[in-house]
Order: sequence, then C-alpha cells, then structure tokens
Amino acid sequence: MKIICVVKFVPDVENFIYDYEKNVLVRENVKLILNPDDSCALAFALKMKELNPNNFIEIVSMAPKSAVPLIEDLLRLDVDRGTIISDKSFAGSDTYVTSKILGKYLKSQTFDCLLTGSHAQDGDTSHVPAQLGELLELEQMSGVTKVDLNNFTIAKAIFEVESETIVSTFEIALPAILSIHKDSKYKLPYVKYEDLELDVTHKLNIISDKELGFNKNEVGIEGSLTKVIKTYTKQYDKKSKVVVTNDEDGINEVYTFLKNKGYV
Amino acid sequence: MNRCLIFLDNDNIQNSIDLLEVANRIYDAKEYETIGISINHLCEDAIGKFDVIIHVNDKNIHDYHQVVITDIVEKLHKEYSFDSILIPATYYGRMFAPRLSMRLHAGLVADVTEIHNDGEKLEMVRPAFNGKIMAGIIKQGEGPIMMSVRQNVFTYTEEQIKKTTIRNYEPNVINKSKMKLLSVQVKSQSLDIRESEVLISGGGGTLEKFDHLDLLAKEMNAQVSASRRIVDSGIASRNIQVGQSGKTVSPKLYIALGISGSTQHIEGLKNVKDIISVNTNRHAPICSLSDMVIEGDAIEFVSKLVNKIKSEKIYNIEEINK
Repeated sequence: MKIICVVKFVPDVENFIYDYEKNVLVRENVKLILNPDDSCALAFALKMKELNPNNFIEIVSMAPKSAVPLIEDLLRLDVDRGTIISDKSFAGSDTYVTSKILGKYLKSQTFDCLLTGSHAQDGDTSHVPAQLGELLELEQMSGVTKVDLNNFTIAKAIFEVESETIVSTFEIALPAILSIHKDSKYKLPYVKYEDLELDVTHKLNIISDKELGFNKNEVGIEGSLTKVIKTYTKQYDKKSKVVVTNDEDGINEVYTFLKNKGYV
Repeated sequence: MNRCLIFLDNDNIQNSIDLLEVANRIYDAKEYETIGISINHLCEDAIGKFDVIIHVNDKNIHDYHQVVITDIVEKLHKEYSFDSILIPATYYGRMFAPRLSMRLHAGLVADVTEIHNDGEKLEMVRPAFNGKIMAGIIKQGEGPIMMSVRQNVFTYTEEQIKKTTIRNYEPNVINKSKMKLLSVQVKSQSLDIRESEVLISGGGGTLEKFDHLDLLAKEMNAQVSASRRIVDSGIASRNIQVGQSGKTVSPKLYIALGISGSTQHIEGLKNVKDIISVNTNRHAPICSLSDMVIEGDAIEFVSKLVNKIKSEKIYNIEEINK
C-alpha cells in the first residue's frame, strides 16, 4: 500500500531563549526539527514498511528549499520518496492557502492512507489535516494515539483516540487521513551509520508553482484569508510581590502567609 | 441584522454558552442575533440565552461524522448567511472548524483567547509558539468571521432572559461516513485539577524529584499539577497539565514550583487569588504575577515547608493536649 506522510519542520521552540531584560523572545539561530507529532506519524509508517517492505512511503512537506537537508535525512531511513513543495510565491501563506497548495499536489497522487501529525508545535492550529480532508473529500481524525498494525490494510484501519477520560476505538475505511498524536510514542529509528552520507537525491521530488500552476493572487499573503497584524508577548498586571529565600525566615514567612489566608 | 452562529458542543455546554461573550465583544453596540446549533441534544441550559436554537435530531449522526455536520452547517449558512461562526475549541470543534472554513472559504483563527475590537477592525488574539507569543489576527476576504475559541477563557454573565425560538431541523443530508466507533473504554478516573482549591504545580525545576510534590500536596490537602515540560518528559500524565493546550484552572492558591511560566502556562491560570512561586530565577515570568516569590530550589522548598507544616501541626496538638 502507499502511505503519504504530510509533515512540517518547525522551530525547536523548547529551546527558544527568552530575553527577560528586553522582554522578547530570541528567535535567531533556532534550529528546525521535524514536528514531534509528524515524527510519530512517519515512525508509524516506517513500522508498517518493516512489516511489509512492499509498502511505499512518501513524505510531503511544504517548506523553503533550505529544508532539503532535513528531508534528505528522513530519506536515509526507509522512506521511498520525499516531496518538497517550495516556491517563493508561497511564502506567507496562512493555513487555508497552505492546505490548498498541499491539496493540489495530493490530488494528483494516488494513496491508500494519508498520515499527518495532530498538532504542530509552532502554530498549533491543527487546521491543515482537517482542511486537507475537506479538499480531498476524505474523512479525517485527530489525536490518534494508536493504530492497530494488524488491522491496517488497503481497505480499512482500526485506531484508538485517547482523551483524558476515555479511549475510543474506531474503524475507518481507507483512504482517509489519520492525524497522529505524540502520545502515541511511535519513535523514528536512527539513520544507520553506513547510511549517514548516503546519496538520496534520486528520491527527492521538488515541486514548485511551475507544476502546480496557481495564480499569484491565490497564494502567499495575498491569497490568505487571515493575516497576522501583530505579535507580542503578553503583558500582565504585576503584583507587589514579596521576595524571600529558602532559609528559615523565608519559610516562616511563607507559612505565615498560608496560615493567615487559611490554607494550612 | 448581524447573525452569529455558535456551535453547541456536547462535551462542555457551559463553555459553548460562554461564547455568547465573544459575540458580545465582536458586535459591541451593534445589533445582532445569536443562533445556537446543537446536534442530538436539546441544550436546555442555552434556552433563554440564544435568540434561536437549531436542534438537529438524527440519531445516525455522531460527533465524529465531521463531513455530514459540515454539510448541515453549510446548508444552514446558505439560509441564514451567518456573519460570524464561533466554535468551542474542543477535540471535535478543532477538527470541525477547519473543515467548515475550507467549505465556506472563510479565514479561520484557532484557539482565540482575546478579542480586540476598536470598532473598525476585529483583532482575534491567539497564542503561538507554544504560548510564547501571542498573535493578533484579522480576517481577509469575503467569508464570515470564523474562530475556534479556547475553552474556559470567556465567561458570559448577561442576566437578561431572551425568548428563544427552537427550531427542530431535519437536515435531509446523506451521511456517507465510513467510520464506526467500535468501543469506548473508560479510563480509571483521576481527580480533576480544575476542581481543586489548592494546586501544587511542578515545572522543569522539579524534574528530578517530581514525586516530592505529593508530600506537600498531602499536607495541604491539595492536588498536584504539572507544566508541559513535566508532562512531555513522561513523568506525569497529560490530565494534570496546566496550560493552554492543557487546561485552565482556577484554584484559590497556586504554588508554582520550578515553573518559569510560559505565556501558555500563565494563560492556563484564571482568577487565581494567590500565587506563590519558587524559582532559582526571581525574574522568571511567573514571579511577576506572584504574591510571594521564593528565590531558590523548588525541591528544597518543598521539604522545608513540609517540615514546617508538620512541626506546627505537632506543636498545635501538644498545645491542645496541655
């Protein structure tokens, strides 16, 4: 069967540095990583490939060309094709336009299942998987925490969605879109040592607007239906705080505070 | 007349009703009508609050039948031409909103936590980059205003009772879904951190000895909660996470141990009366919101405070026995 994983590279936000003096987030020199949920989706696909080497895995990502080395790293795993959709005119696209661009490419492909992540750790709108579902006329489910390996065929998939209180098991006819949650804990394997420098350029498929043929006003900032007009770090009302340390006086003061307010 | 559609989610009705406050902020002094849509449950709590409730009754439609629910709302939109569509950002709401926005060619803003309205442009504010940045977003194009709204952020307080028209709606759409719910397993119930009056919350500074927090929680009759960092590292389960993608909590007292306080985390605190924070960096963001800041190691603080509370208890018992 053919599985397409739609993935995204995101800034490693956990390693953002916050400049408390200037009250700004330092965004320079932050490296890009494969979005954690997407990484689980790809890891599941690779698991399926391990079970059946005839399975074909394609990664599709809309990204600047600078992401090519990142895609190549993934191609050094057992991934058959890496498609990067990249065009200067796509820059600044919102989720609506991004879905249209990805959708146009995906419509030209045949596949049995589309896998995506559930959340992206940068924007975290979770818009694209559901919007792709709409564009491709497929059903889509988010938050998938487990896919039954023995019941993942061309015809159907059985999977679990775990919420705080319940675990629901669903059956879905394929093709469909399953959006994997990082709580699934599917882990990408490491690239084999001997493959670290492997030439994978023959697996790379670079798609630009030449192939997709959008009008200029349909994509990028112009085609977007939402626009970020400002970003800011939130300002909060500061309290007149008391600062103490972990010594006896400090602990006594904390205790008195708790006692006076009736907490102890 | 402006028309605002609000999706009434089965999961959390009160939260859906609270979206009336969002409508309030969008239209401000302008006249508008609120229309609620509920699927297979008559939302009694919403009666008297909305102008219209459209009650879709078709037992073959379930929450996970996103395509057919989109078909229904599209049909209704053709009839009513909604000016705005508000969807609570629940599990299903977060899937439904983008599908519907694509169908209606409308710009969608996800997880809105604030509305800025200067009368000319409507700015929808949402967290990004894990809550480290807030983004103000406006819509472009012809479609209705569309947003999914973060749960438990807005509160509707209007007392006025409206005369609600209830419309029983037969959608006449074919449900072509090929999805089936096979089984539902209820997980062992843990206490809900949203119901606790005192929360002892741990962040990165408690990574090594997170279980120590239980000792303090026990002494203070409190519950333990955690930051995203702790949950992501696998030490605690996601149902005790405080923060935007996690949960909004409103305890009376919040003790933040080794939590720096990302915007996301701070957004997860609502109407908290007292905040005590313990951090090696007294300039960590959460400290500026705190009534009391302890500059130092969080685990050391826990041990010392536990000892203090215990010794005071013993002292009190001795006093009583004298």
